[in-house]
Amino acid sequence: MKLNDFPYGKAPLLILVLAVVSGLLHGCLQLKRRADKPDLVFAIFAANHEEAYREVLPEFEREHGVKVQLQRVNSGALQSRLQSALLTGAEVPDMVELLEGSMGYFTRGPLEDVGFVDLTDRLHAEGWYACMVESRFTLWSSRGRTFALPHDVHPVTLCYRRDLVESLGIDVTTLKTWDDFVAMGRRITADLDGDGNPDRYALDLSAQGGDALLQLVLQRGGGLFDANGAVAFDSEIVADTIAWYVHQVEGEDRIAYDAGWGQGLTKAMMDGLVLFYLCPDWRTKLFEMDIPQLEGKLGLIPFPTWTEGGCRTSTWGGTGLAITRRCERPELAWELAKFLYLRSEDLASRFRATNILPPLKDSWDLAAFDEPRPYWGGQAIGALYAELAAETPSAYASPFLGLAKSKMGEAYLNALDHYRRNGDAGLDEAIRSELKRTADYVRRVAARNVFLNVAKADGTEGERP
Amino acid sequence: MTGKPQGRRDGAYPAMTPWLFLLPYLLLTAVFFLYPFANSVWLAFHQTNGPQSAVFVGWSNFAFVLADPDFHKALINTTIYTVVSIFVQLPLSLGLALLLNSGASRMRNAFRLIIFSPHLVGQIFVGILFAVVFTPRYGLFNQGLEALIGWGLEERWLANPTLVMPALIIVSLWMYVGFNMIYFLAALQSVDKALIEAAGIDGANPWQLFRNVILPQIKPVAVFVVVMSTIGSYQLFELPYSLLQGFGPNNSGLTLVGYLYTTAFDSGDLGTGAAIGWLLALIIFAISTLQIRMTKAMES
Repeated sequence: MKLNDFPYGKAPLLILVLAVVSGLLHGCLQLKRRADKPDLVFAIFAANHEEAYREVLPEFEREHGVKVQLQRVNSGALQSRLQSALLTGAEVPDMVELLEGSMGYFTRGPLEDVGFVDLTDRLHAEGWYACMVESRFTLWSSRGRTFALPHDVHPVTLCYRRDLVESLGIDVTTLKTWDDFVAMGRRITADLDGDGNPDRYALDLSAQGGDALLQLVLQRGGGLFDANGAVAFDSEIVADTIAWYVHQVEGEDRIAYDAGWGQGLTKAMMDGLVLFYLCPDWRTKLFEMDIPQLEGKLGLIPFPTWTEGGCRTSTWGGTGLAITRRCERPELAWELAKFLYLRSEDLASRFRATNILPPLKDSWDLAAFDEPRPYWGGQAIGALYAELAAETPSAYASPFLGLAKSKMGEAYLNALDHYRRNGDAGLDEAIRSELKRTADYVRRVAARNVFLNVAKADGTEGERP
Repeated sequence: MTGKPQGRRDGAYPAMTPWLFLLPYLLLTAVFFLYPFANSVWLAFHQTNGPQSAVFVGWSNFAFVLADPDFHKALINTTIYTVVSIFVQLPLSLGLALLLNSGASRMRNAFRLIIFSPHLVGQIFVGILFAVVFTPRYGLFNQGLEALIGWGLEERWLANPTLVMPALIIVSLWMYVGFNMIYFLAALQSVDKALIEAAGIDGANPWQLFRNVILPQIKPVAVFVVVMSTIGSYQLFELPYSLLQGFGPNNSGLTLVGYLYTTAFDSGDLGTGAAIGWLLALIIFAISTLQIRMTKAMES
């Protein structure tokens, strides 16, 4: 048969041939992919987690005679791809590490629609709730059911420029309360070169409130949501914290400066522009990697308390491991989750590599957590974080977490604006009114979610884990 | 045209032949345009939680959006940005084009490349770049301001709600002035030189020359640029999202598409997101129609 005999000419023939060949090729690749398919696919976003897991995975694979594929994806991409895949029924990994705040998205519908395996009964049956920091489960729970295993505790301390603070004659052990801290801050915040701009501040606080404000609220026992998932940021605790925060970042007596992130932060730390920084465990590793020049010049202390004997820490961030419902081997996935998260012997080396405190309480007795760290002037940072871990406050997951954070920030910024224009006159009333307005807004948005409201009406909402 | 098409046998093709050729296009259009189009209408009247859960909510998504203060804020922000784009950016682009059009051709090409080059970078990269440039105390922009006018070293362009929009506008000017200049330059180069010479002989001054000779001839391009800038401005998303790592303090950098994105993909409310999409389409359609009609009215 000649080419010209094809009914519609050469070009359609070529297109047809290309279509058939590419179709066959695609089919073959799919078959090969299926043949090579690992027993478990585990998607993560953190580079240091990947390093740690790759070290121990061969042992798990040998023990169970299986193949595990580790995929590292950017956290934003992982979240959005997972959302889309779960919505559309596309292929999803068997296990996935999620970032704090992301669980709410997946639990905004009926519990039976959540795309992750409910781990609550396993955690109870195997006694893990008692062995781990209880407050960490709330990040991964909705309506009393837990959908991920917490990876960390993330207590927060204050990191400080030890050399500069000591040269100023400040004894950090005397900074027991925030009142003590503010008094010290007012002494040392100063314009050193006479250009009208202070060149030394006591504390790094975000100009937008953001995570810093939320950490202080959590430390005082407040939060964006209560244990039942109800909006709770129009509380006295939040109002008082905003009033305090506003006075630290604005006005003649301010002690705080927003050092930001990245190069700006590095420069501020190097220059000694700011002396104290809010510092969860994960941030200590960032400092070690990004600013090696400060080796031996930094130290950590617990948060000053709001009242004598009060809570000395807060929490910032978090990662959890979830098993997707489409996982064909959930028991194997659960074994891998425990293997990676709950084996004390691995947690010691992982702490050395990441500085992240695991939520498994028994592991804190290991020698790795008591080791003095040269970067931190010989301080045993693991012991400090472990000591504070039990005090770590709960933060609750909600489908409206992002919105609530944004609205609390809005209330704070409007309060700051009021303070700039009117000083203290009417500030408290303005803060409370803004918090009421913004919290009511979040309540209105939450009330529109017909799926959660049906669950409430049916009484299918559970208790706290 | 003579001769019979290649491969044609005796007699006519079967009736389905044209459809067969159209099939790939029709399939792609159906899958990537018609289905999403119809689905977005359906979505706008539902609340969903994945394909398994959907509840009809009537006009409630539209009612919520229209009453939502965040929507109002996004609409105001986007409109301010659009107005500045048209009344600041486009005159600057036209001014630069006029300057370049009058210069020597070798210099013109060099300047054209320099002025256009920021557009080649892409919004995300520009956002990340300017986030560093605007760093308080250490940033290039703040240090430059301090050196030039003795103000601005500690200004928080990206954290102060009143400075966010000016920052966005500065970045967009840097990025888009050169892009729009290319359109104007192309239009200016096609202006009839004989008319310009004749006007000069008749004693027209530069303003009269521009107003009565050049502008009428570049009007079609100007209308096109204004309409495209309006549409582009109402679709602004990547630049504030990357520059502000979100939409800024107090949503001061929230745009309509940003509002759509946060509603649909951060909050997971696809139904309300679809409603916002339809409202945005209506707004762009209405404004573009208005602009074209106003231009026609001015012509007549």
